[in-house]
Amino acid sequence: MSIELFIEQLEALAQEADKAFSEAADSDQLDLARVEFLGAKKGRLKSLQKNMGAVPGDQKKTAGMKLNAVKNSIQDAFESAQSRLSSASSDGQRDVKFDATLPGEAFHVGRLHPITQTINELKDIMGRLGFTPAEGPEIEDDYHNFEALNIPRAHPARDPLDNFYLSVAETTSGNDSALSGNPLLLRSQTSTVQIRVMENTQPPVRIVSLGRVYRPDTADWSHYPMFHQIEGLMVDENVSLADLKTVLKLFASNYLGDEVPVRIRPSFFPFTEPSVEADYYWDGKWVEFGGAGIVDPNVLRAVGYDPEKVSGFAFGLGIERLCMIRHQITDIRYLFTNDTRFLHQF
Amino acid sequence: MIVSWNWLTEYVDLAMTHDDLVDRLTMSGLNHEGTDAVDKDHAIDLEVTSNRADCLGHIGVAREIAALYEIPLNVPDPQPVTGSDSISQHCSVVIESEAACERYTARLIRGVKIGPSPQWMQERLKSLGIGIVNNVVDATNYVMFECGQPLHAFDFAKLKDGKIIVREAQPEETFEAIDHRTYQLAPGMCVIADSGSAVALGGVMGGADSEVSEATVDVLIEAAYFDPLTVRSAARKLKLHSPSSFRFERNVDSENLDWASRRVCELILESAGGELLEGVIDVGSPPPSRQPVNLRYSQLQRLLGIEIPVDFVAPTLEKLGLVIESSDENSVTAIPPSWRKDLTRDVDLVEEVGRIYGFEKIPDDVNVPMSASYRPKADRVVDKVRNVLTAAGFDEAVTPSLVPQPWSDAFTPWCDSPPLISSQPMLGVLEEYSHNIGTVNLLRRSLVPSLLEVRRINDYRSNANVNLFETAKVYLPSDDREIPDQPMKLALVSHRDFFAVKGVVEALVKELNPLAAVQIKECEEALLDASQSGALWLGDQRLGWMGSVSESAKKQFGLRSDAIVVEIDLGVLEGETQLIACHANQSPFPPVTRDFNFIMDDEVRWASLESTIRSESGPLLESVKYLETFRDEARDGPGKKRVLFSVVFRSNEATLTGAQAEELCNRIITNCTSAHHATLVG
Repeated sequence: MSIELFIEQLEALAQEADKAFSEAADSDQLDLARVEFLGAKKGRLKSLQKNMGAVPGDQKKTAGMKLNAVKNSIQDAFESAQSRLSSASSDGQRDVKFDATLPGEAFHVGRLHPITQTINELKDIMGRLGFTPAEGPEIEDDYHNFEALNIPRAHPARDPLDNFYLSVAETTSGNDSALSGNPLLLRSQTSTVQIRVMENTQPPVRIVSLGRVYRPDTADWSHYPMFHQIEGLMVDENVSLADLKTVLKLFASNYLGDEVPVRIRPSFFPFTEPSVEADYYWDGKWVEFGGAGIVDPNVLRAVGYDPEKVSGFAFGLGIERLCMIRHQITDIRYLFTNDTRFLHQF
Repeated sequence: MIVSWNWLTEYVDLAMTHDDLVDRLTMSGLNHEGTDAVDKDHAIDLEVTSNRADCLGHIGVAREIAALYEIPLNVPDPQPVTGSDSISQHCSVVIESEAACERYTARLIRGVKIGPSPQWMQERLKSLGIGIVNNVVDATNYVMFECGQPLHAFDFAKLKDGKIIVREAQPEETFEAIDHRTYQLAPGMCVIADSGSAVALGGVMGGADSEVSEATVDVLIEAAYFDPLTVRSAARKLKLHSPSSFRFERNVDSENLDWASRRVCELILESAGGELLEGVIDVGSPPPSRQPVNLRYSQLQRLLGIEIPVDFVAPTLEKLGLVIESSDENSVTAIPPSWRKDLTRDVDLVEEVGRIYGFEKIPDDVNVPMSASYRPKADRVVDKVRNVLTAAGFDEAVTPSLVPQPWSDAFTPWCDSPPLISSQPMLGVLEEYSHNIGTVNLLRRSLVPSLLEVRRINDYRSNANVNLFETAKVYLPSDDREIPDQPMKLALVSHRDFFAVKGVVEALVKELNPLAAVQIKECEEALLDASQSGALWLGDQRLGWMGSVSESAKKQFGLRSDAIVVEIDLGVLEGETQLIACHANQSPFPPVTRDFNFIMDDEVRWASLESTIRSESGPLLESVKYLETFRDEARDGPGKKRVLFSVVFRSNEATLTGAQAEELCNRIITNCTSAHHATLVG
């Protein structure tokens, strides 16, 4: 093939392409024209390129340059058509083929467990009231779980059937803690953390402890052998029931998002004296909030505080109950089954 | 404790309304749980805390009412008429086990006529929901619900030799109770025996053989103090709980035995006739003397936060049964009544005065001093972890800390010691599918098996794309510590592929420390696939493990599809966490990017290739980015791969010249070729 013919063909193609692109009325037509002329496999420019092989050797360079020039001019024509059409559509012409009501690409944000959400909120509120979170071991010894909390040996709470006492299997040391004087157990209350903090800190103390606690109830809709508690402790000079009531009222009002009345009524716990049960008034009735009281002098003495110099209050709440009431969860076992359909609700 | 309104009127004048009464009782410590209308009476259900055994009888509740409303309390003074014949001629009592029974009293009535109890007594017992039996048994129940002291009536003719022996049960001893069931007794339980066999289980239940029946003529009345712990463990072991055991468990008033005994005798004589023998058998130790308690008035303000008028204090204590010994302007000293063993210290009296004065008078708007709290680092780290994981689409799970043995053994990378064993199993925490896996009594040493079970549950419920995490403690026994190690771990289980999950782990580490980089090294864990797994390291600290669950483990955990698991030590992560990031200047000059395509042996690991690339590039190398790997056996031969990556160079001082970039590239090519026998393509 002569170079003249090759160039002629290229120029004709350029003209045709220019015409097709400029006449394209919408992006679909333009796309068809693009495939016809610029298609990577069967486009007409591609086919024409093959003819270059037939151009005599000494003229190949000229042919190549022309090919590149034409290729660029067709590309330019396509791009200007493209920009013409896109500016046309932004000028108020609606493309019916674009359905903005189709759903977006699925994007799942993971969910925090409702227990965690409840804990975070309670911790947050207590933080604003000046209570610092404190951690303690879940495996405790008898001393911290009972003795230091003024729970005598004969107290029903220490019954072996009501606690998860622990032993080590088949170790060489043969250390069976259940037989020793200070056996280990899974803590039955978070009050143990109070003892550990007070043992290592001088007053004033203002902490909130949270976490898992264990009691061997058979799981049913309202019981589970593992659950969570939050406990607040404040020890200083002259801390009284009035301070407790004030803090509980702020706490409950913050949690419920509205100013609520709080009442305290006498109760009994070995580690507080006086002991009280706190209720908040919600939806026309008194709802149990949790147990509380003035830290028993025996507990203060056990950690080396002088009950004549300092006093304190403590309160404890069950997280599951608060969480279930708030989210209208009807069976505590749902919380620990972790069905993702359950988790995705919160 | 259910109390009858009508019955209470026997002791106090109830001029108030029902609602006012139950409100005040609730606010002073007897929480009102509900009231049922019974005939012409109210059955009022009050919650009695375990320290207030005195309120397990009507008189105790009436005393509370008298104190609250400042009205008189009328307690009967029973003085039953006795005959001339003395009980000691006919009967004897021996306490062999003082630990189980501190004090035992007996009275004997002869010639009773068994029949129905009086109408008024039946009505009161019915109000409480107590079954009616006969005039003797009903009288013992009546007095128990009147004063809280359980009593027992024996058919005296059935007591061999007229003897009562209070002793520990013998091994293998059996006993037929009033419910006509036979119980296997054990040492440690307290039995009442005659000279032959057990006739009652002390404080728990009477025996069938000696029970009062139509044919009974003579009755022996027992009023005793049984040890709370002994009664509780016997009742619990035999699953034999009774109103009697309930009261003994909470400590009855051992000084009130005689009153209760006289009272029941008086009622029996009234309704069943007969003759009460002269005297009482009273064996055991006399009750310990009661110590006076001093209450400083200043303690009231200090602990209650309100000022209580001084002239309110002593009269209130008296109303509650305390005897005032002395008082001055600063304090009052009083002896507590026998029925209030819980009052031994000044703070106990603070509560008494406070609750009668009214906790509702305590303000809820005092000025609590301000105090700044802070969030511990561990807390902030866990928060960041949760934020990254939820952003990555992972949901949080919470699973029990105890697991059955097959799960406990399945994955123990943190610890070689056997797990801690709990004396009690967790019951009801396994799904039906997993019921036969084993007893849930081992403290877990890894969170991963629990998450695999959660994954299985979700698989079986056809929940797609399950990506879960949990943060919790694991329990690692160690010989050299008093309390076992309980480090916090983070575990993940995911439906995504290995590198998708590895990317989440890398993002997590970057979030906590932008300069830290996770390395992965080979590991051997049976739970994990041999190749798609590795130990995670941060510098020279082991961060954790990750991998695809092996085929055999998938079978063990009932998984229907592939799963990637990760477990990370949050302590290590916390140690590496930089909560405050530092700024470095950004270069204003343009980057130079170069792509490379090397052919090399399959054995070459990316981590080692990357370190070669970085080794001599100096500060001008900004980043190395892995692009992809592909294999073309036809062109490159077997065991070869092509690795594509891109390198970005940039200077902080000037725009890089072509020659500088060229030189850096050549260095990379030379090093890769010599270190990895890699060949540059094209």
